[in-house]
Amino acid sequence: MTADSFLFWMLAIVTLVGGLSVILVSNPIYSALCLAMSMVGVSALFATLGAYFIAGVQMIVYAGAVLVLFVMVLMLFDLKTELATFSRGKISGLMKIAIVGLLAGFLAGAFKTMTFEGADQAATKAVSTGDTTKALGTLLFTKYVFGFEALGILLLVIAIGVVGLARSKGGTHAKH
Amino acid sequence: MQNIDIITNVGLNHYLVLSALLFVTGMAGVLLRRNVIVLLMSIELMLNAVNISFVAFSKYLGKLDGQILVFFVMTIAAAEAAVGLAIAVSIFKRYKEVNIRFFEHLKG
Amino acid sequence: MGESVFEITINCVKLILVFLLMVQMVPILVWLERRGSGFIQNRFGPNRVGPLGLMQLLADAVKFLTKEEFVPKAATKILFYAAPVFALIPGTLAFSAIPMASPLHWGQYTFAIQGYDIGVGIVFILAISSLAAYTILMAGWGSGNKYSLMGALRASAQTISYELALGLSIVGVIMMYGSFNLSDMIHVQEGTMHFQFFGYTVASSWLPNWGIFYQPLAAVLFFASTFAESNRLPFDLAEGEAELVAGFHTEYGGFKMLLFFIGEYGHMMVASGLMATFFFGGYNIPWKTTEQIYQWALNLVGSPDWASALTSLVHFVSFFIKLAIFLWIFIWVRWTLPRFRYDQLMDLGWKTMLPWALANTIITAIVIFAVSQSW
Repeated sequence: MTADSFLFWMLAIVTLVGGLSVILVSNPIYSALCLAMSMVGVSALFATLGAYFIAGVQMIVYAGAVLVLFVMVLMLFDLKTELATFSRGKISGLMKIAIVGLLAGFLAGAFKTMTFEGADQAATKAVSTGDTTKALGTLLFTKYVFGFEALGILLLVIAIGVVGLARSKGGTHAKH
Repeated sequence: MQNIDIITNVGLNHYLVLSALLFVTGMAGVLLRRNVIVLLMSIELMLNAVNISFVAFSKYLGKLDGQILVFFVMTIAAAEAAVGLAIAVSIFKRYKEVNIRFFEHLKG
Repeated sequence: MGESVFEITINCVKLILVFLLMVQMVPILVWLERRGSGFIQNRFGPNRVGPLGLMQLLADAVKFLTKEEFVPKAATKILFYAAPVFALIPGTLAFSAIPMASPLHWGQYTFAIQGYDIGVGIVFILAISSLAAYTILMAGWGSGNKYSLMGALRASAQTISYELALGLSIVGVIMMYGSFNLSDMIHVQEGTMHFQFFGYTVASSWLPNWGIFYQPLAAVLFFASTFAESNRLPFDLAEGEAELVAGFHTEYGGFKMLLFFIGEYGHMMVASGLMATFFFGGYNIPWKTTEQIYQWALNLVGSPDWASALTSLVHFVSFFIKLAIFLWIFIWVRWTLPRFRYDQLMDLGWKTMLPWALANTIITAIVIFAVSQSW
């Protein structure tokens, strides 16, 4: 077994176990920390796929900021008891699991046997990292510049909106 | 063992199956869990699964467009997480509960 | 890792050595801090145990190891035990990525004098440093203590706020050097100052080609942000001794607290190393390029292998001196400045440093573009 495949299997197992722990563990703080582990696993998977810059950005944005926010909010809530962890109703719960399992089986079966046009199984276009980042930047500012600018406006709106929503005296519908 | 090739020769399909399993795990979390914050985290899990498939395609098809889309998805997911958390904080301040079975006001 | 067994072995040994280097610098740093703070405050530091008090740390380590190990009753055991261990990880990983000397050419092998040479060096270091917030949160929550929790929440909010200023202040530097790789950045800072100015090459032989002369504002912003990242005074509200007992590590005693301190000093070392790498030429000797040093070593020794080894040694000493200077500045500032209040701290991070870092980025971009056109 080569190092690449060993790395993939190890990281896949870590990511999947983390993902399963998110939904199965009852204490939500452990859930958040398991999700952080899963994010680090996903970032490492990006690195094995040769997208080093995206791997770093994934760690900085997700594991370093978004999940820290989640954990902080959970710690502020300080929930004493977790009343109903899973949705009540055994039958509906079983049906949900069955549907989800069916979807999983369908997708996994489809992907296992599909072949994609132009997909080279061992496509290693080994470009150095500097070239990749430069190419990413060029693409972002030429072909996808509209989406880029729209994202900027979106982030501005979100920042203002979040501050408005979460104010201690106020919020969007408060009477002054 | 015959089909050891499927273990040692990791290709595009492996990454896609991993992405599908992760996505389905997130979906199960959204359907089954009752805590609003864990719901939001399951949505993040789904978005990450999609990111994996984007980057896998980007590598195996040789184009960089997949990674650009990953940028967009990541940004939007972070923004949506922020807004979702702000809403959750507002709900908690008002009702002192974040269990969604108390918020069925719109039902029926 | 390498092709032949020799190369692989040397690389493994190198990884272990870099880790041990970082951990072994901590006792020296603690001694420096205690004696240095003593002199700044016009008193003696520890000076009884061993010559000049150097053995004090050994005595302290023995004391820590033999203390009773306790866990508070309301604590969450997993998080309580995991947090100190997790404190070591970001500092060590980030420190291993900083180049400490010029690459050593021995026969047909080339060894980079760092733990590992990463293409996206600085993005990796930023990513690993952003994991430091989890240590604080796990420690604060795992202690089961309201003071710890408050301290942890404030400290992690401070950490993620100053990560922004940190990242943005570096963008100007990255634009100027044109690469994420730390070794490339150091390579560019060799020799005396020379740059392109509208088609002419301006060279000045009495200034080294260091980053601080090109990006002074970014240097100031970066240095201040790293103070906030490693929770050192004047940003150490997390461990504000007079306010929150000891913040997020209130309930920790003995060896676990020692691990937290190793983590904090590890962050300090990464910050000093990065400061030296970005703005002060890394392992370069001022005014000299690596080639000149290599030629001097070749004249001295004769064989190219040993000359390369001597060059690397000289560069390592130079890097170490710069590291020591910045670590001393960290300690010096700690015992000089008063602490920021929490709202002042957050104001500084969001309303002052972030706009200045953005302005620095924009102006750097404009200047780089304008100056590279030849009229």
